[in-house]
Parts: sequence; structure tokens; C-alpha cells
Amino acid sequence: MKRSLCAVLLLSCTLLSACHRVQEKDTAAEGNGTTTPQPSDPGDGKTLRIFMWSDYIDPQVVKEFEKREGVKVVIDTYESNESMIAKLQGGGASYDLANPSNYVLQTMVRAKLLQPLQKEGLKNFGNISAGFLNPDFDPGNTYSVPYQFAATGLAYNSARYTPPSDSWSLIFGPGDTVRFALLDDPREVIGAALKYLGYSVDSDKVEELKKARDLLRRTVQKKGFESFSGGPETRNKLLAGSIDLGQIYVGDLLQGAAENKGLHVFLPREGTTISTDTLVILRGSPNPALARRFIDYVLEPRVSAAISNYTFYGNPNRAAQAFLDPFLKSQKAFNPSPEDFRTDKVEFINELKGGNTPRLYDRIWTELKSR
Amino acid sequence: MNRRTHPALTVWAWLTYAFLYLPILVLIVFSFNESKFGANWTGFTTHWYSVLFARQDVREAVSHTLEVAVLSTLVSTVLGTLVGFGLWRGGFRGRVPLTFLLVMPIVIPDVVMGVMLLMFYAIVRGLLERTGWTFENGFWTVMLAHVSFQISYVALTVRSRLAGYGRELEEAAADLGATPVQSFLQVVLPLALPGVLGGALLAFTLSLDDFVVTYFTSGSGFRTLPVLIYTAVKKGVTPDINALSTLLVLFTVVMIVLANLLSRPRKEQV
Repeated sequence: MKRSLCAVLLLSCTLLSACHRVQEKDTAAEGNGTTTPQPSDPGDGKTLRIFMWSDYIDPQVVKEFEKREGVKVVIDTYESNESMIAKLQGGGASYDLANPSNYVLQTMVRAKLLQPLQKEGLKNFGNISAGFLNPDFDPGNTYSVPYQFAATGLAYNSARYTPPSDSWSLIFGPGDTVRFALLDDPREVIGAALKYLGYSVDSDKVEELKKARDLLRRTVQKKGFESFSGGPETRNKLLAGSIDLGQIYVGDLLQGAAENKGLHVFLPREGTTISTDTLVILRGSPNPALARRFIDYVLEPRVSAAISNYTFYGNPNRAAQAFLDPFLKSQKAFNPSPEDFRTDKVEFINELKGGNTPRLYDRIWTELKSR
Repeated sequence: MNRRTHPALTVWAWLTYAFLYLPILVLIVFSFNESKFGANWTGFTTHWYSVLFARQDVREAVSHTLEVAVLSTLVSTVLGTLVGFGLWRGGFRGRVPLTFLLVMPIVIPDVVMGVMLLMFYAIVRGLLERTGWTFENGFWTVMLAHVSFQISYVALTVRSRLAGYGRELEEAAADLGATPVQSFLQVVLPLALPGVLGGALLAFTLSLDDFVVTYFTSGSGFRTLPVLIYTAVKKGVTPDINALSTLLVLFTVVMIVLANLLSRPRKEQV
């Protein structure tokens, strides 16, 4: 089901970009003429349109920006990076900002959906934490600033089970006494196995991938393996006690931990995956200047902290750390240290390189799921 | 009713109903759960309903949803009824291919339909831009997209309602001096009316429920309820969304019951 959906979306992306090229010529021709203010600008600098993940910004933060700038902010939502890109490529909806995950950023650059964000003009650019500056997925932060990030950890419910170590070996080791769930996501699951084996989460080496495959094959055959499941689902299983350990996005677990003191999450010793959602300015943005001011606003320490305090997702803003909720600050997994970034204890999931590599990942995943 | 149903069959029927309705029941129960996150029950509250009604984006989405549903239902009911009538009447070439084309929007997956329409609008926009015109996706594109699948449902419902009657009704009306328009309005339409209304209600609920097609054909700042709900799922469903879904389920159930009552054939009218 999901697979066929992706296939359709991919196909449509290709076809849409064909339509798009025609339009592009038109706008290029326009650009050669005298630069009059574009009459088609629907917002006239008065409306900011943001396309982002659902429930991912504190409504209070939005209200304050509206008041400060005297503008209206319209937020539309999507549920997957793929459908977001497909919709943007279709045109007909003019957004100023989007909120893609880091691993689709290059896809969007190639599809000519983004415009450079001119970071020199951003007063608060310097607030960004070192681990998120000049990332592989966007060299020189040409197109994006980090918004919120999600590290992947292992979670447990101390009312029922306390892990004897902080290692992936609880799951990938030879023992079979722990009941566990893995995320329903190929890059996360294969990435975890690669980390446990000491390789990069973006590995394109056939030998390494073979070892990861064999390891995962054994892992899902264990009696303790319960299922592949999403974050909120895993949290509920931990509460219900049907699993002891669950691979989960730290933010998803912390949302539950704020209410239930028994829930804990840690980043395994061998290292883990991390992904970040970014803010980008779209090429067709009617109000790029306003969009830039919004990005600058989000990079303000108090604003950035308010957003994390609302979402429980990781905060990539150095200056914001002081304003974080004490509960979040007390969580080690919430806040990987700069050291963790440097040593790749947390490693970004990047777009796979090499023509055949995506197919290898795909094949491993298919085998695991159809076991 | 002198034959008694086997008890096992009764149990089986109840199990089937449980399978169908338990998830909905769970959803309704959890809309009254105090806990913001997680599936553990922490206490009864109607708090989430007040949270829901206070949300500006929800109120906007409700009005968008109803506007689209009402107008698209009106348009598709008129067009669909005429198509259903034409199919019943027959007497033209291409009836079989036309029936086949009518079934298409029902059987092709929503994603294909949504992406198809997205591309269609992109192409139309591209052509229009050459003449200096352009348009944003929004109310009209969503409304027309809904009409494009609603027509099929209305037409098929109307046709099957009329299927029991022969052409001789129209001939009799003509013998008595009715013009074709009069015979349609005064003879055929009243007979088809339950089918028309049933089809209209079906179309209405389909528009109300649609996510995929709406998502792809809507522009910025135009969200309907299903879009709002579905995109919220990724970050975990909050209880106010459960409350919203509960209201939507109730509304849909009422609509479907009405549709069934109206499209039930009434023999005594003949």
C-alpha cells in the first residue's frame, strides 16, 4: 500500500517537473523585462504561508509574530515529505516556507523548488548549534536552517523493566530475553544495525550492508521481537507492558514521559541516527522578505525554546538551551552534546548516494518485512 | 419468521459488527480521555471538546468542508442525474463505454485521482498563463475535483433506481401530449427522486470524508477537516482530534442512514 503510494508520487514528481519546466521559461522571460513589483503577489507582504508538519509549532509563537509584524500567518500541514514535494511541484499553491526533513532537501534543490535563504541577512543565524552548521545535506546552509530535530533512542518503562546496559546489544546481541519493537522505517532500522556494527548510517558498501542484513535477519527471528511500529504506538506498548524496549524518536517518548514518570529513553552507546526538519524558502514564495524575517524570528533563543517546549522535539539552537523546560533539560537523550555530533555518536540520515544503494536498502527492508 | 437462526450465526454476526465498530467505539471513548498523550485511561473529561471548539483552524476547516460539500453535491447531483437518466433511456451509441467510464472514478485509487487532477490543473494553468490569466488552487479546484468523482455515484444510483421502469412510461406521457421536457420533469424525475436524493447524500458524505483528492487539489490556506485530521496523525493523535473525528463519524452515520431511508425502493408509488 505504502510502497505503491510512493511509486505513484515519484512518478507524478517526474511528470510534474516536466510541466514545470515549461512554466520556468515563462518566468525567466519575465525576469528579463523591467523589474516591476509582481502583480500576482497575493500577500503583498501581509500574509505568510507556511507548509509544515502538523502540530509542530506553538500557536502562541505564531500569534506573537503576527502581532509584531502586523501580518497574518497561514499554516497548512502535510503528513509525509513525499506528498509535500508532490504538491509543491504541482504548483497552484503558493507557499513562502516549507519544513522538509534533511534527507529530502537535496531532492528539493534538484527539483528547483527552493531559493537561497541569504543567511548573511539573518541576525540570529549565529545561534544555531555547531552540530547543525554546514551539514552534509546542505553545505554552507545555502537553503536551510535547522528547525527541530529528532534523535532516535531506546525507550523503556522502569515500572516494568530496567535495561542492564545502554547498548544496542540488548536488541542485536546474542541473547533473546528482551521483548522489543523497532521503528517501522527502513533507514532507522538498518541504520541502527549499521551503528551497532560500527559503520555509518549512510553506508553504501555492499559488505557492510550484507552484515547488517544478516544481523537484522537474526534479530527479527528472535522470540522477543514484537513488531515494527511507529512512535506513539511504541509508547503505548511500553505503557501497556507488551514490550520491554522500543526504538523510538526521543520527542515521541518524552511527550509521554512528561505524563508518566516511568518512561525513559537513552541514546545507545554505539551511536544512533538523527534527522532534522528544516525551514526553507520556496522558489515561488510571494513574500520572501517576510519569510526571511520569520526564519530570523524562529532563531531567536526564546522563540526557539518555546517551540521545543511545545513539541518536545530536539532543539538545534545553542542560545535557546537556557530557556528550555527544566524537564527537557534534565533528559540526556534530548540533548546530544557537540561531542556526540563530532564523533558521529549521533549521525544524520542523509540521502543515499550511488545508483544501486537505495535498491540494496530496499531489498533488505522488503525481506525483513515479509519474513 | 418461523425458521430460527442458528445461534452460531448470530454470534458470527455480532462478531462481525464488533470488528467493524469497536475501533470507532475506542476512538469515541478516547475523545473523553483526560491524558493528552498515550493510550492509557487517566480519567473522564469533556475538556477536549472545548479545546476543539476554541480552535480557529478547526472552525475554518469545518466551514471549508461544508462549503465544498454543499456546492459540489448540488452540481454533481444535477449532472449525475442527467447522466443516469440518459443511460437508462439509452438509444445512443457509446452507452457501454460511457458506463465503463462512469465506473472508473469509483475504482481507481484516490492517490491516482488526486495526482491526476493536480497535474491536470497544472497543465490548465500553464495553458492559461499564455493568455495572461492564472489561478490559485483552492475552493474551486477542490470543489470541481469532488464533482468529478461524485457524478459517478449519483449517476449509478439514479440509473439503478430507474432500472425497474420501462421506456413505456415516457411513451405514455408523450401519447398524453407531454413534451419530452414535461415527461422528464413530471414523470421520470419524481420516480427517480429517491435515487437522486440517495445519490446526493452519498456524494455529500464522500465529499465530507475525502482526504487524498482534496489534499492534492487544494491551495495554500485551504484546509478541510479530513486534511486537518490526517496530517495530524504523524505526530501522534491528540484527544481533540479524537473529539473531532467522533463528531465527524456521528455526522456521517446520520447522513448514511438518511441516504438509505431515501433510496429504499417504495413499490406503492408505481
